[in-house]
Amino acid sequence: MPELRKDPIIGRWVIISTERAKRPNQFAGQYKEGPAEADCPFCEGKESQTPPEIYALRPKHTPANKPGWELRVVPSIAPFLRIEGNLDRRGMGLYDVTNGIGAHEIVIETNQHIANMADLPEEQIEKIITCYIDRITDLEKDSRFKYVLAFKNYGWIAGGSRIKHAKSQLIATPVNPKRVKEELEGAKFYYESHERCIFCDLIRQEIEEDRRVILDIDGFIAVAPFASRFPFETWILPKKHACDFTTLDMPSRFELGNMLKKVLLKLKKGLNDPPYNYVLHTAPFRRKKSGYWKTIDYDYHWHIEIIPRLTHVAGFEWGTGFYICSLSPEDAAKFLKGIEV
Amino acid sequence: MSELRRDPIGGRWVIVDTDHPNIPQDYEYQHHTLHGRENCPFCYGNESMTPLEIDSIRESGGSTNTPGWQVRVVPNKFPALQIEGELARRGRGIYDMQNGIGAHEVLLETPYHEKDIPDLTNQEVESFLSMYARRTRELEKDKRFKYIMVFKNYGFAAGASIGHPHSQIIALPMVPKNVKEEIRGAHSYFEYRERCLFCDIIRQELQDKQRIITENEYFISFCPYVSRFAFELWIMPKNHSACFCRIAAAELPALAAILKETVSRMKKLFVNVSYNFIIHTSPINGDMDLEDYHWHIEFMPKLTRIAGFEWGSGFYIVSTPPEDAAKFLREQ
Repeated sequence: MPELRKDPIIGRWVIISTERAKRPNQFAGQYKEGPAEADCPFCEGKESQTPPEIYALRPKHTPANKPGWELRVVPSIAPFLRIEGNLDRRGMGLYDVTNGIGAHEIVIETNQHIANMADLPEEQIEKIITCYIDRITDLEKDSRFKYVLAFKNYGWIAGGSRIKHAKSQLIATPVNPKRVKEELEGAKFYYESHERCIFCDLIRQEIEEDRRVILDIDGFIAVAPFASRFPFETWILPKKHACDFTTLDMPSRFELGNMLKKVLLKLKKGLNDPPYNYVLHTAPFRRKKSGYWKTIDYDYHWHIEIIPRLTHVAGFEWGTGFYICSLSPEDAAKFLKGIEV
Repeated sequence: MSELRRDPIGGRWVIVDTDHPNIPQDYEYQHHTLHGRENCPFCYGNESMTPLEIDSIRESGGSTNTPGWQVRVVPNKFPALQIEGELARRGRGIYDMQNGIGAHEVLLETPYHEKDIPDLTNQEVESFLSMYARRTRELEKDKRFKYIMVFKNYGFAAGASIGHPHSQIIALPMVPKNVKEEIRGAHSYFEYRERCLFCDIIRQELQDKQRIITENEYFISFCPYVSRFAFELWIMPKNHSACFCRIAAAELPALAAILKETVSRMKKLFVNVSYNFIIHTSPINGDMDLEDYHWHIEFMPKLTRIAGFEWGSGFYIVSTPPEDAAKFLREQ
């Protein structure tokens, strides 16, 4: 019997249709060829091929935009949003419009020509996490921005570029994105009636049931969510409650790097190097607005959502917000748990 | 400067790239191919390869599950939901679930494997549209169902698993999230203004003109001001009506004509493009609100890859402004 499950946070129903289940190896990914390593603009020595760097991890004596770096952040050459200008909110009859103000940055995660974050050392992933924190903290100073979205598109099908060099993106937006708002509202609603964080409750229940846990190491847990939208969807959550990703302490950054590497390696090994996306879900900038953010410190809980891109998503799923997942999260967790990394 | 536009219905913000808009030639998309023609279970003469038919249109006679049909409805061989059983709503800790009760039917629009909507006559398009309405009215009688979703995935890139043109009908025991939001948005607009939001959209679009692709006596076809996808388009009845399945007899030929014209224009611009469309209609059996909701068809060609940004944020980036998209489609 297929099961209908409700996402406890935002209330979305999902069909878990095991009758339609496919074996994991039926989901193999495909790739188109990108430029050769010699033509990669993100490798060390090619600094002049990107816009000037905004941030870099490099020894003090090396000049900006020259070799010697371990990690760089540059503006996108094709930004969706621009940094200069005013928002100029206005209406046009029924419709509301504002200028596309924002920031769009590319994090070049390594000076080596390595495509998948899964193949970077834990220490390097820890540096990428620190870079996200530094950049988000810096962008928060610009009062026009409400949110910074940190995400990664790996592989062509996942919306990534054909250049096989590990990178992620940061987009600062002048409005709170819809999905984030829904999550915040859902968490707040739960807190109002239970006076507990829904994510903390989720972690407790997942550890107790132990059917959807993929990894549980140190301060972090990786689970296949109860109402997964996609086969092998994976969330990484800190066990210790915190609404804001940027407050993560140094030891935890290493632990998160370690967890992220292990999960990504499991996906790579178990699913034949699939394209994937991950998105950081963290609290919006909490600027003073009376009473507005009263409980967010207690009710919201940052986390990372990873989605391997194995199936074609039909348009109706976008149109209706209604997903049919052909693999139960229990089976997905069992499979990924069994992959040795 | 690109624009951020806010959807007046659900309140979603979308980035519209008015700076460097893409032209149709910029899109690199996966072409739909007709492979899978041999042993296609949806082709004429292969009726025994599907589960037993639920309904069909057979103007020239012929008994069920044999050739002679123009439109045929069969249960999905791999249904996402099952018709028999109880809902058995239950909870476990913080989680809620229920049995996957529902109906999942496949509607074969034509016996011909290679004929998509532009290749059919207006009369043939009207036939399968009338079958959409007939099946919906029939499924509505089951009180367990709260929503009937009619949609089409055409082409593998759009999620179809069989190349033969077909639509699907899913009856659900609850209202899907986006529909609920749409209804909530329409309801609060109505409460404030005592007018239907969608009727107001039609009025404004007819006045602005720049996003309209085509119109006839009963329908308009336009690219919505807040598109989520490049070349997204909506077909909307001009007369206020909440339920698709109550469509008036006089409106049906007009709907067939505008759907055929719109899809033809799209497929001329993007040869062999895969696409989806969904009929957005009012919920049934209790949750209906006839005054403030307005049924319509949302159509999306599959031109872009959807990236992590959209997943995580619900924030879409549209690389061709709807004004440009409508112009390209008008010029076909």
